[in-house]
Amino acid sequence: MTAAWLRRFMIIAALAASAVAGQAIGQAPAGRLVLYTSQPERDAAQTVGAFKKAYPGVEVEMFRSGTTEVMGKLAAEFAGGASKADVLLLADAATMELLKKDGRLLAYPNVNLTGLDPASYDRDKTYFGSKLITTGIAVNTAAKSRPASFADLAKPEYKGQLTMPSPLYSGAAAIMLGTMTSRPDLGWSYFEKLKAADTVAVRGNGAVLTAVANGEKAYGILVDFMAFNAKTKGSPIDFVFPAEGSPAVTEPVAILKTTQNPAAARAFVDFILSDDGQKLAVSMGYIPAKASAGTPAWLPAGTRIHIMPTDIAKVAETNSANLKRFAELFGN
Amino acid sequence: MARLTIDRVTKSFGAFRALDDVSLEVADGEFMAILGASGCGKTTLLRQIAGFDKLDAGRILIGDSVVSALGRHVPPERRRIGIVFQSYALWPHMCVAENVAYGLTVAGVKDPERAQRVEAALALVELAGFADRRPAMLSGGQRQRVALARCLVAEPSLVLLDEPLANLDVNLRASMEDEFARFHARTGTTMIYVTHDQAEAMALADRIAVMDHGMLRQVATPSQLYREPADDVVAAFIGEGMVLPVDVRSVDGDGTCDVDLFGHTVKMRCSSQQRPGARMRACVRARDLTIVAASSPGVDARIDHAIYQGGHFRLEAHPVAAPDLHLHLTVPEPSALRPGAEIRLDVADGWIIPRT
Amino acid sequence: MPEAAGWRERFESYGLLWGLLLVVAILSIAPLARLLLEGVAPHGSLSTDAIARVLSSTATWTATRHSLATALGGTIVALAVGGVVALVVSLTDIRARNAFVFCFVLPMMIAPQVIALAWLELFGPASPLLKALGVAQTLGGRNPLYSPQGIVLVLGVQYAPLVFLTLRAGLRTLPSAMIEAGLAAGAGALTVLRTIVLPLMTPPLVAGVALTFVSCLGNFGIPALLGIPGNYLVLPTLIYQRMAGLGPSALAEVSVLSMLIGVIAVVGILLQELMLSRRDFRVSTTSTAARPFELERWRVPVEIALWAWTTLVLFLPLAALVLGSLVPAVGVPLAAKTATLANYQFVMFGHDAARRALFNSFSMSATAAIAIVTVAVPLAYFVVWQRTRLLKFVNFAIEVPYALPGVVLAIAAILLFLKPLPVVGVSLYNTVWIILFCYLGRFLVLGLRPVIGGYYQIDRTLEEASQIAGARLGRRLVTIIVPLIAPAATAGALLIFLTAFNELTVSALLWSSGAETLGVIFFSFQQGGDSTYAAALGTLTVVVTTGLMLSTLLMAGRLPAGVLPWRD
Repeated sequence: MTAAWLRRFMIIAALAASAVAGQAIGQAPAGRLVLYTSQPERDAAQTVGAFKKAYPGVEVEMFRSGTTEVMGKLAAEFAGGASKADVLLLADAATMELLKKDGRLLAYPNVNLTGLDPASYDRDKTYFGSKLITTGIAVNTAAKSRPASFADLAKPEYKGQLTMPSPLYSGAAAIMLGTMTSRPDLGWSYFEKLKAADTVAVRGNGAVLTAVANGEKAYGILVDFMAFNAKTKGSPIDFVFPAEGSPAVTEPVAILKTTQNPAAARAFVDFILSDDGQKLAVSMGYIPAKASAGTPAWLPAGTRIHIMPTDIAKVAETNSANLKRFAELFGN
Repeated sequence: MARLTIDRVTKSFGAFRALDDVSLEVADGEFMAILGASGCGKTTLLRQIAGFDKLDAGRILIGDSVVSALGRHVPPERRRIGIVFQSYALWPHMCVAENVAYGLTVAGVKDPERAQRVEAALALVELAGFADRRPAMLSGGQRQRVALARCLVAEPSLVLLDEPLANLDVNLRASMEDEFARFHARTGTTMIYVTHDQAEAMALADRIAVMDHGMLRQVATPSQLYREPADDVVAAFIGEGMVLPVDVRSVDGDGTCDVDLFGHTVKMRCSSQQRPGARMRACVRARDLTIVAASSPGVDARIDHAIYQGGHFRLEAHPVAAPDLHLHLTVPEPSALRPGAEIRLDVADGWIIPRT
Repeated sequence: MPEAAGWRERFESYGLLWGLLLVVAILSIAPLARLLLEGVAPHGSLSTDAIARVLSSTATWTATRHSLATALGGTIVALAVGGVVALVVSLTDIRARNAFVFCFVLPMMIAPQVIALAWLELFGPASPLLKALGVAQTLGGRNPLYSPQGIVLVLGVQYAPLVFLTLRAGLRTLPSAMIEAGLAAGAGALTVLRTIVLPLMTPPLVAGVALTFVSCLGNFGIPALLGIPGNYLVLPTLIYQRMAGLGPSALAEVSVLSMLIGVIAVVGILLQELMLSRRDFRVSTTSTAARPFELERWRVPVEIALWAWTTLVLFLPLAALVLGSLVPAVGVPLAAKTATLANYQFVMFGHDAARRALFNSFSMSATAAIAIVTVAVPLAYFVVWQRTRLLKFVNFAIEVPYALPGVVLAIAAILLFLKPLPVVGVSLYNTVWIILFCYLGRFLVLGLRPVIGGYYQIDRTLEEASQIAGARLGRRLVTIIVPLIAPAATAGALLIFLTAFNELTVSALLWSSGAETLGVIFFSFQQGGDSTYAAALGTLTVVVTTGLMLSTLLMAGRLPAGVLPWRD
């Protein structure tokens, strides 16, 4: 009697649950979705465009700027009351950790994470990496030497020839800084050596690309997709994966706790992590988070990139101090 | 009624007292000149009447209405007066016709009446046909006439003129003076005419108010001012009078008296209230002085300068008894008198300046 | 019979005054007050922690010293260049005057980063010019522009047109008689310049100098680009650094640092007031302005110098921009094979945001220019001719939103407008309206200063004559004062339009889809490594604006004399 009753109960419960779930799925997300992102302009526009095609009922409003500006805007909004953003698509996980610690992120427990490396998303399911962006060495094709590792860049033959993105403006650079300064073979002395060699820290990866491609500087520390996309279009630039390994960021997506449209927000996360979203990233020249989506044209299939391991929690904790120290060293 | 009453008006700029307790009554239709040297306060007074500045004490009335007082100030746009500025103040971005028509436009007068009145005003100042010119293209005299036309087209009952002829050449001045005189005779407008030129004031005004250092010295007809100046300042300013020290010996009842001038007895005019006394001051004009032979009675004087002025000499001399005083007279050419020569002067007339 | 100073006059006069004050209060004072609040009461509770932290930090005072140094230096360079050019253009007989003025003002259309980048390449180790001259630096040599001197130079170049515009408007009203009197008295041309022209031009000069000083003080882009390698921080870049480093807790410190900038700007204004208060600069405007100085044998060298300058400042960066827009990717040398219009195709047809940005920037800049000048003319009337005491405070208040770095103003606006407006319940946030609001508050001073300078040069009897004719304040402003102040007002409107059109730092934080601005899109392209798109957009901007400026020549016949700087 009890077993039969229990079985019936479970069937009803399952039906009820699926009905509810079905209703939730059946009702397409609509309304307004506000996205704050630090993706490059062109890529952000494409991402939003593709999402709107997949979910035509949602009207997307996007704010795009460097990581610093996005955080500044968020800070002002938090101070003023509540943020207007629903979803964030930022460069690095350390920034997300800060927001998570501040209690600003909304967890998405039921997200579909098949095919994704557990290292790329938050344990508590508040943020999820969408790609893999590595930082390596960009070289102008007319340059005399060809560095093979980060350590090479500190050698005297590269003096005055190197430019790098400032971690105060670039999330990827901030992760690179945090990761490399905690390694015994590089550490802060590495950056001090770079500074002594007249390395220029510029505002963002775009400026590095422009400087190296133009020939103003022969070498630059740069994110992979930018170098390769330019190379594909004909820029005289080459990219080297450093011997020590490549510091990487995952460009995570997250939902803000104060979101006005949680359904659309979840749909956005779903889209980013979906096969379509991941294939879109590949077409834009990024290495996707989902290996099954393929690889971008510049990366021959089967190539293994050696990623420098990053302790996200530690990087997030020391970020502020690192940035301050970098600023004192480089001025910006 | 465009009677103007200025009642004990005072105005200070910081520590500087520009107007000091000035009172003046201008009758309806009167041509009143305010005469004084630069800095005497006449333009300040004019601006008070116009309403551009507020007074510190006193009142100003136009007709029976108080337009300026402590606690009440009718703004210039409501006073319905006309003004001709010394700099003409023609608007450079408007042509002559637009300049003249401005007041009518503001009052809501429309064409064809407006155009007719503008034409009439321009004809009045003999600038018919200049309607489309720009002020930058006019001569000084023409600009002045446009300013006058602009002032008159609204037919105000009170017109203020701030040294309107100061920037014109001599010949033009004479003809403009005629213009003003004829205009006043024809229309009977009350006119307040500020100037430093006494010849102008004498020629045009019914009465003249002489100002000095913010104070009103005397208000009288030109002839009265000339013949009977009220104090030293007026005496010296009008007609270049010479103020000489005299002792009044006796007073005749008919407005004359006998005085002692440097030992020489002279018959002079005086007011009916005059009493005999020592150390009085007399106003003597150049035309009252004649050179006489050394044998005749008179005042001894020595010549300092003899200046040829075309047909006559202007002699500047000083009394031997008082070398610090200045005398002057004219003698026809030819004259042999040179600086240093001693002459004897007969004084035919003078006016005893009343002691205040 | 004359009635009392009726309630109607008083209403009109005071109503206008209080209306203007309300506008200024809302635009300028409200954001500042909100920001100030954040500095002294972060998170809602009073605290002097932030103030103490900032004022006790050596970085603060170093940056302040640097800010003062670069602001003063930049002002001097701008004054020297803009002033000399204005004098030469207005008072001598050089040829092709209008074309030159056009080209001198046009660099304000090009984003300052572009000019700075072009010069960096020019003076850098890869410079074709230096290589041709044989003085190219060895690889690895430091680019000389990365220094305080470099910052001062580029700032001066950037703001020379500002001084030029204000001074030229003033010189338009100088009657030739004043100069001729000096020459007739035996004074040489330079003496006349020194003793007659420049003293009479004090109001527009002071206006230009004050604006330039504050502009240099609040400039972020140039020190950010050139101060980096030398570790040379100024207050705006220090603020940005704090924001970058501290994240959410930065606001309080940012607020305090901003107040520092505000104090410096206000001191500058006090000095300006002092200079203008004691003397009479009025010039009768009824005679025609002329150009009495003939250069004779100096003419050709002067013309060469002027056009050489234009080449350096306009043609070279423009060339770099255009060339950069025709290549498929950065660094690809331009040749017949590689030249492509794909970038233009993308910007014009493939990227909606760019098109929207062009439209948005244009309409916001034009609206700001017109609205501000409309407020500035009556406001300046009260400041200069009525000397209303209340307005002394206003004079300072409007200076600060311009002096502050754009990012700070944006944050203040966010704090103010995050929640929907009370009563009407409409939210301005993330729309063009919040950006326009910031433009109005920020650029008010650009409109007011030249106009104030213009009032100082007008003979007040021109207004008094209209008063006597019966015109009330409103009519006087429209029929008499506006035509007389038109050259100065137009200078102000142009300044506002040109500055707002390329503006980046304010809209960087305030924009969103539909509310893009040119500066933001341009910068976004550059940041993302798509500098070819940025170059195409920049070129389009210049082309469009040049077209607009040329089209004003069509209307020139109907405008009062002296209104357009590039037309006699």
